[in-house]
Amino acid sequence: MSIDLSIFTNYGPQLLLGFWMTIKIVVAAIILGMPFGLVLALGRRSRFVFIRLLASSFIEIFRNTPFIIQVFMFFYVLPFYGLYLPAEYVGVVALAAFGSAYFAEVIRGGIDAVAKGQLESARATGMSDWQAMRYIVLPQTLPIILPAMTNQTLSLVKESAILSTITVGELTMAAITVQGETFRPFEAFIMVALLYWALNETLAIIMRRVERKVSKRSSGGSRAVPAVSAVKDG
Amino acid sequence: MAMDTGKMSNFLEMTGLVKTFTGATALQDVSLNVAKGEVVCLIGPSGCGKSTLLRTANWLTPADAGEVRLDGELVGTMPDQRSASKQAKGLNAVRARIGMVFQNFNVWPHLNVLENVVCPQMVVAKRSRNEAEKKALVALSEVGLEDKKSEWPDNLSGGQKQRLAIARVLAMDPDLMLLDEPTSALDPELVSGVLAVLKRLAEKNMTMIIVTHELGFASSVADRIVFLEGGHIIEQGPPDVILQSPATERLKLFLDKLNITAFQPKSD
Amino acid sequence: MKFDFIYTLDALPRLLEGSLVTLKLALLGFAFSVVLATLVTVARTASKSRILSIAVAVYISFIRGTPLLVQIFLVFYVLPIVGLNIGPVTAGILALTLNSAAFVIEILRGGLASVPKGQFEAARSLGLSGYALWVKVVLPQTFMSSIPPLVNEFTQLLKATALLSTITVVELMRVSQQIYSNNYHPIEVLTGAFVMYFLMCFAVSRGASWLESEFEVKRA
Ligand SMILES: Nc1ncnc2c1ncn2[C@@H]1O[C@H](COP(=O)(O)OP(=O)(O)O)[C@@H](O)[C@H]1O
Ligand SMILES: [Mg+2]
Repeated sequence: MSIDLSIFTNYGPQLLLGFWMTIKIVVAAIILGMPFGLVLALGRRSRFVFIRLLASSFIEIFRNTPFIIQVFMFFYVLPFYGLYLPAEYVGVVALAAFGSAYFAEVIRGGIDAVAKGQLESARATGMSDWQAMRYIVLPQTLPIILPAMTNQTLSLVKESAILSTITVGELTMAAITVQGETFRPFEAFIMVALLYWALNETLAIIMRRVERKVSKRSSGGSRAVPAVSAVKDG
Repeated sequence: MAMDTGKMSNFLEMTGLVKTFTGATALQDVSLNVAKGEVVCLIGPSGCGKSTLLRTANWLTPADAGEVRLDGELVGTMPDQRSASKQAKGLNAVRARIGMVFQNFNVWPHLNVLENVVCPQMVVAKRSRNEAEKKALVALSEVGLEDKKSEWPDNLSGGQKQRLAIARVLAMDPDLMLLDEPTSALDPELVSGVLAVLKRLAEKNMTMIIVTHELGFASSVADRIVFLEGGHIIEQGPPDVILQSPATERLKLFLDKLNITAFQPKSD
Repeated sequence: MKFDFIYTLDALPRLLEGSLVTLKLALLGFAFSVVLATLVTVARTASKSRILSIAVAVYISFIRGTPLLVQIFLVFYVLPIVGLNIGPVTAGILALTLNSAAFVIEILRGGLASVPKGQFEAARSLGLSGYALWVKVVLPQTFMSSIPPLVNEFTQLLKATALLSTITVVELMRVSQQIYSNNYHPIEVLTGAFVMYFLMCFAVSRGASWLESEFEVKRA
């Protein structure tokens, strides 16, 4: 098998465009998914049974089904309710929903890892449950959850490949298009694989730096939640 | 000092408190009133319900039955007819007037010493940063930590942590302080510093309930000692009466045991 | 338009068949990946070869750093070019195996680390070596302590099989797509498949957390 290098030069720009779309989608999904994950994590410890049930159902459902079927559900269900969005937006919504369930579990693990006395002593001063979370517990959670949050973020990058199945023009879609035009699947897919790999490693290196900084600065950095086992895209 | 002054003797009213945990009854119909300016020391064997009683005083542990009032204001009651949000609001407001000091300090490790004291003032008492910092510095100097204000809690000794916890409470201008074995997690040489702070507070007529095993300290600061066993108040009275001439066999036994161990070299 | 449950019911028998295929794919991929990962683990540990351990590290990094979907495409589209004409099912299982093996190697590394060093020495002093040392002493202990994460890996694999629909493997996801491309009721059909995936994964992951708590009790 010979490798046709001209594909890299001819279709490079197209692949880079897809790469850029992948980055945009993942960033958008994180911006939506992390706060929602926090809401879910807090919802899981609400004093109202109904809210607890709602939050944990959402989390369990999204963690126990393949992402690809979630994507198709969003793709068909949103128009069903009269919400006609371009495919990229559907992709962002699906990725954010999926990610939020995993972020929620990480955040919950972090909250549980903060000593119970911290919340109690805050409540004893007269803080409301939310104030105690906001000022005392969550700030201590941050350095604990950073490694696991990094893992989840990296997994979102990989999951986003699945959005190609609903024609979102991200990196994997670009590769599919290129291989359709050139009939050179190896060049097309190995090229995007390397791009994903590079993105992943770069993000991982950056986040490890951040983790070191954060754990050095915060005195509570010695505790760390074991990173939730890496999710395979599915 | 504040005994038998009619209505005044009911600053904190704890009435008919019952608390059962799965498998253990911690409080069986306990009532305790504390007067303004009074210092009450709670003593009793481990597991007798001292912590539970203290924690129902600010409803950190809600009782199964009974009622707690501070200055006539409802802290908690069971059953409670108020809506959940009313309960929460009322409780947070009255808790701001009650300071609690824990056995294991519970200082906040992500905030430096000054911020530990500033934070609840700003969040709960809604003070400006300026005012909160001023108050914090006063409170820190009262406990002898003014030169540690930019230190991180992890760099403090146990005794310093506990004094920080006390300063955090003091800055809120509490009407009542609850202290749960404030010195039992400390190395022996650090105990006296904390006790000295508490003694000064007692002299300034701070109303306090202190759970303690330090009988010498209790006899010197307490207006009243309350002996608890098996979730009941067995005996209470002025320190000299309680410690010198206990009326019940159980208190006698408890004091004997404590005195024997007090004279033994610390083994653990 | 409204949700018409009758289409879900109609699809149910075929969805159940699809679920069985999904389970089979996951089980096969899992079995192969455990075998492959075990061989790699033993080879890497026993040979102490630097080249091998670097190669394995790069392999793991590549698998974990790239989307499974792209890995599946690579296997499916590239193997025929090099003359290996395997069908989508074989390609799919191969891709799942290669992917899962990377994760299982990591799991086994953890399990291996939990085998006390003294065990090796004790076995050697008894005259056990090579094959017997691994099969009789080390591997059983490695697997015992790896059971909870292995079950967890199986749920991941269960979900991952859905991606094989993209290379025309007729498993649960593909079956539901076939059904709704005929009856034009994607929501009803997908909901049925969705529930089935959920039941399978939820059951297994509940089992995994039960196992985990069991194991913790025993270790404590
Ligand atoms: N959170 C809890 N859950 C279950 N049982 C508890 C809890 N807190 C206290 N108890 C039980 O209630 C009893 C009284 O405990 P506590 O008030 O802590 O005693 P003390 O402080 O006097 O040692 C004990 O039997 C203890 O085991
Ligand atoms: Mg106690």
